[in-house]
Amino acid sequence: MNRRALIAGLAAAGAAVAAGLYRFTDVFVKHHPATPYDDLLTHLPDRDQAKRLGALVKGTPDANALAAQLRGKMPRGLSAAAKADIAAGRLVEVEGWLLPQSMVLLAALAAKS
Amino acid sequence: MSEFVDARTLPAGMVLTPDIAIVGGGPAGISLAMALANNTKLDLLLLESGSANFDPAVQALYTGSQSGDAYAPLEVGRLRTLGGGTNHWGGWSRPLDAIDFEKRDWVPHSGWPFPKAALDAYYPIAQNLIEAGPWIYDKGDSVAAANAPMMPLGEGGLYTSWFQFSKMRGDVVPTRFGARYEGSLKAAANIKPLLNANVTAVRLTPNAQQVDRLDAATLNPEGGIGKRFTIRPRHVVMAAGGMENARLLLASNDVMKAGVGNQNDLVGRFFGDNPIPRNVATLVVFGGKLASYYGSTQTLGEARMRAVFAPTAAFARSKKVMGSLTTLEYPVELDDIGKAAVITAANALGVDASSARAYSVGCGMELLPDRDRRLTLTGETDALGLPRLKLHNIVSDADFALYRQTLAELGRQVLASGAGLLRINCSRREDWLKNMDWGHHHLGTVRMHVDPRQGVVDGDGKVHGIANLFVAGSAVFPTYGASNPTLNLIALTLRLADHLKKVAT
Ligand SMILES: Cc1cc2nc3c(=O)[nH]c(=O)nc-3n(C[C@H](O)[C@H](O)[C@H](O)COP(=O)(O)OP(=O)(O)OC[C@H]3O[C@@H](n4cnc5c(N)ncnc54)[C@H](O)[C@@H]3O)c2cc1C
Repeated sequence: MNRRALIAGLAAAGAAVAAGLYRFTDVFVKHHPATPYDDLLTHLPDRDQAKRLGALVKGTPDANALAAQLRGKMPRGLSAAAKADIAAGRLVEVEGWLLPQSMVLLAALAAKS
Repeated sequence: MSEFVDARTLPAGMVLTPDIAIVGGGPAGISLAMALANNTKLDLLLLESGSANFDPAVQALYTGSQSGDAYAPLEVGRLRTLGGGTNHWGGWSRPLDAIDFEKRDWVPHSGWPFPKAALDAYYPIAQNLIEAGPWIYDKGDSVAAANAPMMPLGEGGLYTSWFQFSKMRGDVVPTRFGARYEGSLKAAANIKPLLNANVTAVRLTPNAQQVDRLDAATLNPEGGIGKRFTIRPRHVVMAAGGMENARLLLASNDVMKAGVGNQNDLVGRFFGDNPIPRNVATLVVFGGKLASYYGSTQTLGEARMRAVFAPTAAFARSKKVMGSLTTLEYPVELDDIGKAAVITAANALGVDASSARAYSVGCGMELLPDRDRRLTLTGETDALGLPRLKLHNIVSDADFALYRQTLAELGRQVLASGAGLLRINCSRREDWLKNMDWGHHHLGTVRMHVDPRQGVVDGDGKVHGIANLFVAGSAVFPTYGASNPTLNLIALTLRLADHLKKVAT
């Protein structure tokens, strides 16, 4: 085996291990393709559940506009924004569930991303 | 000491002349008789249509018809037996709130002639009569907290409130007034309890200013009228229940053509009850556990109690909602959307929901007073020849919309405390009506108001314009919150007893 073949072989093996590791960790941490809204979506530890909910939210603008709105709404993160919503009575009904507005919009963004 | 007398053994055509005739031996009539007998020499006649035992032929006198929104058959929600409705009541007891007595500018026709304070002296006595333990409605939080943690509610429009229950320990049923107070009725020298005695008409003097006499009859075991007899009392108190009081007044139409006390077309109108729509919402408790006093009655301190959520007066005023008492019922499973809502909300709030459990939510509601929700007489008659009743029932969309606001506030408050979240299960009218029960609380048909154009009876329970005719029971409640009526109607009856002692002795 010449040197070039060895390097290529090691690289391939490395890639395979990395891919395997990625898949393995996927069991614990779901990996989502990168989006322009990851700064926001990172506030959703379980993005799949949020997406399921977000898919039911009606009447939201497109993802870009939604993201812009959310960036204005949650300068201190989702938890603070959600609590402020609750205190101010900004709740949105999703299939009857009464939920904080920022959280619902973020879930809707997750569903659109 | 006077034994119960069976009216069927009286000589036909007999005329009885008590000081006060009480028509009906339910909790109102029995409480009134006992209170009036106490420390007076008043000669009291308690006329009860039934006897100590249920009789289907007597019960059939209650049969009626209905239209509009579905309601329980008229003979199902009441019992024509000594003790009346307490022979099958649930014992749920809670005093009305002060706001229930107020004129609420967002509730047409609201306002009692007096504030709740006018009943303060009578509630403890009523509480003793229903045997619901010491008066700790307002101390529920502290006795409960010593037992198991309460569900925290964030600051807002609802608070945890408490029901107490009439004697219901182990297999003991709530106090049945007939059986429980039989001894007291017999022991009182001045009460004559007359069983199987049906009042069939309230006869006025020709000038319509006074009751001249009551017509009464017994029921033949083979059907039809047995014996007729007459009562010529100095005063009459109608305590025949929230439907039957109206029926007797409407049917007594020989002198006043629209019925006794019905010169302003109010008798039978404004019928009320507390609807109990089931499974109106789903409440998720993030921590999973819910103290047992939410879902069922529990012994707390020396009473049986159950926690409910009630709107504060400030919330009712600001949101213009009606009274309601929201209950937590039984555990339910969440669907995938519910699970997604719980996980996403718990993550957003930074709380652990790994043990979350969901519970079905129910409620008792107060309806907006509606003059078209009403009882009328039909052409059909019962075995005694009395026209049967028809109920036209209406629950308006506004009733549901107002309660929905209260539920939404509860949902906001459980989120605020980080304790859980809430789903409102009812949006369309049919969602609410689907699982609708009724409290069998017959209210408002002989409403009380100082103004004769707005009420049949005045603040003393006296029928406007008729000197010696009074009405006891929840028929006189002009508005009624969401509390079950019996404790309250007994307190009001005891107040009437004090008034009658003044005017009749
Ligand atoms: C299933 C059920 C559960 C309930 N649970 C509760 C509860 O948990 N808490 C609560 O507060 N309330 C409850 N109630 C309501 C409660 O029963 C009534 O509020 C209460 O019984 C009303 O008392 P009353 O004396 O005014 O009338 P009633 O109890 O109806 O008594 C009227 C009496 O008058 C008699 N009568 C009728 N017509 C005549 C006549 N023409 N001549 C002579 N006598 C007559 C009847 O036989 C009866 O005995 C319940 C009712 C039902 C049906």
